[in-house]
Amino acid sequence: MSFVAKTPSWQRRDTGLTIRIVLSFVILAFLYIIFLTILVYLGLDFVSIAVIASIMIVAQWYFSDKIVLWSSGAKIVSREQFPRLHDVVERIVVSNGLPKPKIAVINTSMPNAFATGKTPKGSIVAVTTGLVDLLDTEELEGVLAHELTHIRSRDVLVLTLASLFSTIAWYLMQFGFYGGGMGYGGYGRGDRNNSGSAMIIVIVVAMLTWIISFLIIRAISRYREFAADRGSAQMTGKPVKLANALMKISGNMRRIPTKDLRQVEGLNAFFIVPAISGSTIGNLFSTHPPVEKRIQKLMEMEASMSY
Amino acid sequence: MAMNFFFRKSKKNILSNNKKPKTDSDNLFSLSSACLTLETKLGLKSAGKCGLSLKNVSGTHFNEMKDEIRRFLDISKSDFELDYRMVIDNYDYLWIILEAKGMEDILAGIAAVGDTIEEKGFCRQLLVSVFEFINMEEIGDQNHQHYYLVYNYKDNIFYPFVPQGNQSRNTENEMKLMATVGHEIPFERDSSLWYPLWNLPF
Repeated sequence: MSFVAKTPSWQRRDTGLTIRIVLSFVILAFLYIIFLTILVYLGLDFVSIAVIASIMIVAQWYFSDKIVLWSSGAKIVSREQFPRLHDVVERIVVSNGLPKPKIAVINTSMPNAFATGKTPKGSIVAVTTGLVDLLDTEELEGVLAHELTHIRSRDVLVLTLASLFSTIAWYLMQFGFYGGGMGYGGYGRGDRNNSGSAMIIVIVVAMLTWIISFLIIRAISRYREFAADRGSAQMTGKPVKLANALMKISGNMRRIPTKDLRQVEGLNAFFIVPAISGSTIGNLFSTHPPVEKRIQKLMEMEASMSY
Repeated sequence: MAMNFFFRKSKKNILSNNKKPKTDSDNLFSLSSACLTLETKLGLKSAGKCGLSLKNVSGTHFNEMKDEIRRFLDISKSDFELDYRMVIDNYDYLWIILEAKGMEDILAGIAAVGDTIEEKGFCRQLLVSVFEFINMEEIGDQNHQHYYLVYNYKDNIFYPFVPQGNQSRNTENEMKLMATVGHEIPFERDSSLWYPLWNLPF
């Protein structure tokens, strides 16, 4: 259709960044599972495996922000390099009594932002140069306040704990099935096949557990997004600015037509059904709720602010 | 207020289950209560103007309908303090523009004109009715922002239009309109159907 302009690349949602970060952690998790499986296979006892596993979890937790910065290519920037960014962040943290996080910038035209860090004090807020260019100051304030809410409510900790459960679930199952299987190991000749199929069952169930917990983590993450939107609205007092920023970032701004109704009516295009936005499967896997829903909630907040 | 907000929402849901489907003019008249909400929440007042547009058609039937509308509006002039004019725009759409102090009078006039058009069989030609609002703080300012609620006759639904300068629109204020009265009047949620109407003849 001629009147639906094609979304330019910088306005499309930056899934690349998210994929890179998620992939880094997924690869880590797999290495982790493989490593522990080898340990179990070598016949290490429960306690020493538990010790090794917890050391690995702590290490992952400790280096989480380094991993995020490394996999996203974000660089910490000084006030001289990005004065507007520092000004906006300072305004929010001062008026809300929060510690000032480090500020990082990713050099890409895709508008995006994220926060990371173990504690509110040592946290990092990262934005892309595309975001800084695209948004006006008040919209930028809304997005940064959203990220600062993630930091304030310790969402990184929440999600790490949530993924810890999946690790523990996997670990217990490993012992339930495989630990038992190993016990048979020395008895007879026919056991080799048995332990082989036991291994397959273990891997299948481990995968299932991991997938289910992955989906649960996604669900928690989506809920945290709504919470962060709400927090941002409370910090800035302007939900409509964040809604506008979301419209711009997601490219939905383009969806509001500029072609005159009378002209469109002349082309008989008024009855064309717009493309269905977002499938259910897509929603299940995404960490962020659909932008339309977030904007709707923000606008409800905006409406409830008067009277 | 939040409580009130949700209560009203749920009440609406309960009621709508056992109510028969609304007629079109019910949808249109819901604007009269939404006017109060716009005034208290956004400080917007009716600008006292509304334009109804329909595709211009040649032929005696269409002219007869125009005459009938003229006769009706001439009579109403004295009764309702209503003023009107008819304009044909660049897209060859006929605009019937009503001006009155009260939103009730404007709505009654627009509904009656709409009924006449429907009676004469030109229902399919009906496009929209556009209601103008103005920020009370900007009254008297030459460059004040125009806020419009557009009533689309095809879907019997309202959507916002806030032009800003030439050919661009203030989406923020449009979303504010949706947030404020979206629950009160039948409202188009899909912003890709919020077609603008540039250079309105009033």
